[in-house]
Amino acid sequence: MRKDFDQLNYYEMLDIKPDAVPYEIRHAYNAALQLYQPGSLVSYSFFSDGERRAILSLVEKAYQTLINDQSRKDYDATLISRGEIEARDESAPDLKKPVSVFHISRGPAARTVFISSDALKNKISQSRIITDILAQSELSGEDLKQIRTELGLTIEHIAEETKIRVNNIRSIEEGQAEQMPPAVFLKGFVKSYLKCLGLDSVEELSARYMNTVSRPK
Amino acid sequence: MAHVWPIGGGKGGSGKSFITSSLGRLSAELGKKTLIIDLDLGAANLHTLVGVPDPQKGFSDFIRKKIPLLEDTVVETPSANLFLISGAHDNFDIANLSYEQKIRTLRAIAKLDFDRILLDLGAGTSFNTLDFFLISQNGIFITTPEPTSVENVYRLIRSIYFRRIRYCFNVTEFKELEVEADRQFGDGSFNRPDSLMKVISRTHPEKYTQLNIEFDAFRFKLIINQVRKHDNAALGLQMCRMMDKHLGLNMEFLGNVAYDEHVHDAICQQVSFLERYPYTKTATDLREIGKQIVESAGRQLTLRYM
Repeated sequence: MRKDFDQLNYYEMLDIKPDAVPYEIRHAYNAALQLYQPGSLVSYSFFSDGERRAILSLVEKAYQTLINDQSRKDYDATLISRGEIEARDESAPDLKKPVSVFHISRGPAARTVFISSDALKNKISQSRIITDILAQSELSGEDLKQIRTELGLTIEHIAEETKIRVNNIRSIEEGQAEQMPPAVFLKGFVKSYLKCLGLDSVEELSARYMNTVSRPK
Repeated sequence: MAHVWPIGGGKGGSGKSFITSSLGRLSAELGKKTLIIDLDLGAANLHTLVGVPDPQKGFSDFIRKKIPLLEDTVVETPSANLFLISGAHDNFDIANLSYEQKIRTLRAIAKLDFDRILLDLGAGTSFNTLDFFLISQNGIFITTPEPTSVENVYRLIRSIYFRRIRYCFNVTEFKELEVEADRQFGDGSFNRPDSLMKVISRTHPEKYTQLNIEFDAFRFKLIINQVRKHDNAALGLQMCRMMDKHLGLNMEFLGNVAYDEHVHDAICQQVSFLERYPYTKTATDLREIGKQIVESAGRQLTLRYM
């Protein structure tokens, strides 16, 4: 003979495990209602009216207690002290954070091959050639190449850092319109390229480059 | 000892005989030597369902001691491997077996040499039905998804429970128990097996343990018959849960059997439904249940209380 219904704890009443989540509790409550509510075929004639009412009020109480976080915690505490259930690890499950689709490692270790941007800026301000080029009203691919070699960076370095394909960088430097990516992409590529070189006023410079390149020769 | 499967269900017309005959055929087809016994005493018609409209001998020959051994009353049916003890020509007072006759029958059934024995029991909760149910742990209950039928099947299960408790005590002891239960749990509770068990746990602890072991050993099965499309398909599982929770009885849900008009046609034509309409949902359901029954090989309850 098993325990009477009113001797069961709320988890046993609803047939759920002590670590059930609210979704499971609601589901179990609905299932219990299907069993015990008046007019249910399952329990037809099984209980007298009084018994049915008693059971339904117990089920209701069980649900109200377990669905509320605070009252559930209190109830769990009494069950634990009675030794009916074991203490649960209370730490809330880790909330899911958005996962980056492209897992690009930009940690410091990956950057060691490059000269730090401070050092680049230093070099730029010291180099006469670069200041001259930047002073011009036009900025061609050739100029970009010159700045790059002056700074001692290779195309591969740039490609690694900006994730722009090597042949795209090459076409930017060669300034051949037919080999270049479409203008929408080109603009973005040039900006990242300039940024990678450690130049300031990237917007203005990229606009200057775009004007130079698109002008018919 | 053969596997005995009493099949009952409380309410009349829920399809006990039809399911018994179908399960019998299936079990025979699957290679088990199967005997079906018509114990719906006084309202027998299993013989019609298995294609033996006029059996030459039957159960009452054994009761009247015209045939001394029960195995000699077995008749063959048109299906291979399927045998029948029919109730076709029972005498008219057969419905009220005396205690001695019943015990003789139960002992004889236990000795029969078959792989599977299915007992088709009558409606209601007469002592005959209850006692034949208690011969095995594997009683099958059949109900339809209607309140009337559900009510009767609960009633039957409680009666069986009650009957089993009753066997443990003599008249005076039992009377005392009833009075005690009435005193403790109020009016009418002597009629509730769970209240009685609570009293027994205090007054007769050793009998309580023994009864508990036996109730735990029961592996009752439930079949929901005549399930229409819009009926709640989970009814069987839910009923099993109720039984487990509130009566403490193990009950296993075997499956739903779909309602089909063709069952009526097959019975009218006196042919096997499974052969005539093998591709209906109902036939598939029956085959599924039949397979479970043939494959299951639970331990059999010995007739200790006899």
